[in-house]
Amino acid sequence: MQTAIQLIVTSLQIGAVYILFSLGLTLIFGVMRIVNFAHGHLFTISALMVAYSVPWLAGNGFPVLLAYLTGAAIGIAVALVIGFLIYVFGFRYFQRDMVGSFILSIGLVLLLDGVLLKLFGGAVRPVPEVLSGTVNILGATVTTQRLALCFAAVVITGMLYLALTRTRLGKALRAVSIDHEAAMLQGVPYNRMAMIGFMIAAGLAAVAGALIAPVSIVSPAIGADYLIKGFIAVIVGGLGSVPGAILGGLFVAAIETFGGFYFDPTAATIAIFVLVIVVLLVRPKGLLDNG
Amino acid sequence: MTGERQALLQARGLTRRFGGLVAVSNLDFDIHPGEILGLIGPNGAGKSTTFNLISGFYKPTSGELTIFGEPCTGKSSMAISRMGLVRTFQHGSFMPTMSVADNILLGTIHGLRDRAARRDRVVETAQMLGLGGHLSDIAGTLPHGLQRLVSIGIAFAARPKLLCLDEPLTGLNQTEVTGTLTMLERIRDEFGASILLVEHNMKAVMKVCDRIVVLHHGQFLAEGTPGEIHSNRKVIDAYLGHRHEK
Amino acid sequence: MDDKLGLPYWAIGTALALGSTLLIGDPYIVSVVNLISIAALTAVSLRFVMLIGELNFATAAFVGIGAYTAGAAVTILDWPFLVAILLAGVVAAAVSALFGFVTLKTKGPYFLLISFAFTEAVRIVYSKSMFLGGNSGMVGIFPPLALDPWMPTFIMAVSAALIFALYAAERSDFGKILIAIRDNENVARTVGLNILLIKVACFALASFAAGIAGSLHAFANSVISPGDFSYLLAAFALAYVKVGGEDSILGPIIGAVLLVSLGSYALGLGGQEHIFYGAAIVLVVLLMPHGLVGLVRRGRDKLAQRRA
Repeated sequence: MQTAIQLIVTSLQIGAVYILFSLGLTLIFGVMRIVNFAHGHLFTISALMVAYSVPWLAGNGFPVLLAYLTGAAIGIAVALVIGFLIYVFGFRYFQRDMVGSFILSIGLVLLLDGVLLKLFGGAVRPVPEVLSGTVNILGATVTTQRLALCFAAVVITGMLYLALTRTRLGKALRAVSIDHEAAMLQGVPYNRMAMIGFMIAAGLAAVAGALIAPVSIVSPAIGADYLIKGFIAVIVGGLGSVPGAILGGLFVAAIETFGGFYFDPTAATIAIFVLVIVVLLVRPKGLLDNG
Repeated sequence: MTGERQALLQARGLTRRFGGLVAVSNLDFDIHPGEILGLIGPNGAGKSTTFNLISGFYKPTSGELTIFGEPCTGKSSMAISRMGLVRTFQHGSFMPTMSVADNILLGTIHGLRDRAARRDRVVETAQMLGLGGHLSDIAGTLPHGLQRLVSIGIAFAARPKLLCLDEPLTGLNQTEVTGTLTMLERIRDEFGASILLVEHNMKAVMKVCDRIVVLHHGQFLAEGTPGEIHSNRKVIDAYLGHRHEK
Repeated sequence: MDDKLGLPYWAIGTALALGSTLLIGDPYIVSVVNLISIAALTAVSLRFVMLIGELNFATAAFVGIGAYTAGAAVTILDWPFLVAILLAGVVAAAVSALFGFVTLKTKGPYFLLISFAFTEAVRIVYSKSMFLGGNSGMVGIFPPLALDPWMPTFIMAVSAALIFALYAAERSDFGKILIAIRDNENVARTVGLNILLIKVACFALASFAAGIAGSLHAFANSVISPGDFSYLLAAFALAYVKVGGEDSILGPIIGAVLLVSLGSYALGLGGQEHIFYGAAIVLVVLLMPHGLVGLVRRGRDKLAQRRA
């Protein structure tokens, strides 16, 4: 029972990051009908910025928490700028073009991979602990940092959900996602919606990156693994579905955690892939499809 | 209903629900060999749904479908088309990046194994439709009227026993309409095929159809010759009433 | 209907290419030429599946399956060289047919992502399989000693033969069905064609070629490891196709020749392969979506217009 709770708690906090990823991916797909493989690099850039600036700031007399918040702000800002650039000079021309946008994103992946590797090297950077100590939940232990990460992810997800359902902007985004032609006929500015959707997704990835930096080993390659899991989460949940993205993220995290514990991590990874294939067999458009 | 020759297609109690919406309800009708049957009705009458049901693109919620004497309820579109029922689609029922010849070729592939025989049929079909001079033109670059003919050509190249056309006259000018109608009559007379025609162009329907089935609100409303339908009170009310509803 | 295959051009081109392989002696150039032959075949295989409108990232998986099959056949089972190569193609095709039956019912982004995931999953399987050498891979995959000096010619000949076979398939009635499915699958369905079966056949044919490409890779390098067959391999193949132009069989070939040559040169300058290929894809996609072949065609059309 003890182990089960520990595993559940671990799944939740791993799932938290996957959800931030999958929300962004599903939002982009829903609004623009494109698949962006370079999404993970925004996450990586943000994490790298944090990993480099926080030790430097802390070393120069900033208290750790302030250094972290400043570093996070820098990381998120840089990632957003890069996201904006790749949208304006690239993805903007490939709205609703699945193949074209995917190919562009593959090119960006290779390019950004190379650039990040050149700039930051392959070495990993540890980030000093921001919140120390552990917390006990129903007998399971979680580090305070991971708990904060989980909490932050829940808050952001909640805010996003509210924004999509309650605000005018959110409703416009959803309208475009369901039927973009009808939305345009109603006067919704599609191009602006596409950009906003893309930037929100970029923001989610950037925030995820800033959140993950203190609890994980940061290297130029960390984005890739999360991206794949994020994509699997959205396939399982249905491309374009927000609740699906959340469910999918939790699902993948659960299999990874439980599978990794009872069998071994690689078996768990293969299990995830098999799961995707099964889901697609039964429901070719994902469990809660909205596309 | 006369039933001496066995009906090519028999629909009995055909019903299709989408969630709470009943698109087609308890529909009975027959298509006989060698006839052009028109399927008409005001917007929302269920014509497209019926079309999709009999061609296997939708499965009926209930009811039975018999095609060429074989029970076909729930059969896939591929199985039904292999039996000899070939349909077109309302919009863009052709391959835009391929030549007219290659478009029509597609219809010949399942039925003919021999390459030369396929090519011969393509030429024969194209000439019959008046597309002989356009064989190497890319279908997507052609004017709308010719594209409609290409769509019919693909379907007809499969030499179906029952050719189902979904609004083939939309967007055609008067000359093109007349030409298409003449061609449909030729298909019926020279090739012995039956044709199911879903159409909004009432004049054309009255002119070319041997029989007409009228749908309204997803249900069977009336059936008869063009003359009978033209003066049928229920049909007139349905169309007039529908105009008022707008 | 233009059914001519342009055989004379193919014959001359292939003869010239093969002839050139007989003239090279420098081992570095030999390795680059082998790389080009194999890259061209892989790119053509990827493009063949594009005929049904799908982007097949599992190409990398099947190249890998072919490589490991050939490697295992020669190093573990001690089977003859030619059998190993043929087996590589057959096994890759068989696995792809199974995979295809399950996944080709989906389309677009779903097929893309699932084929991507499959590549990564298969890679994990190699690295976990001790009898295949695990993470360090397999070594000692040598062609017969007598054939060794002729390897570049052999590899190019095999690649050229398969490329031509795929080209002939594309120009046949089967190829037209593939393109029709890409253009308008519903219409193809309505004239009695078995869409899933045809898609799987296309997929299996392309994977057969990919498997053989993998076996050639194994014999050319004599060493293979799981890392050789990640999604990057498919990404590079995609670069060759897009740069050369996906509308013609020559596109992937030209793209492979160009990018592999330039890439090897860039590597020599101490540059990053990834930046190079990535930038190439991004620029081509934004500026010349139809690749070099597209550019040449447009130029030819403009000239024709000016003369008329």
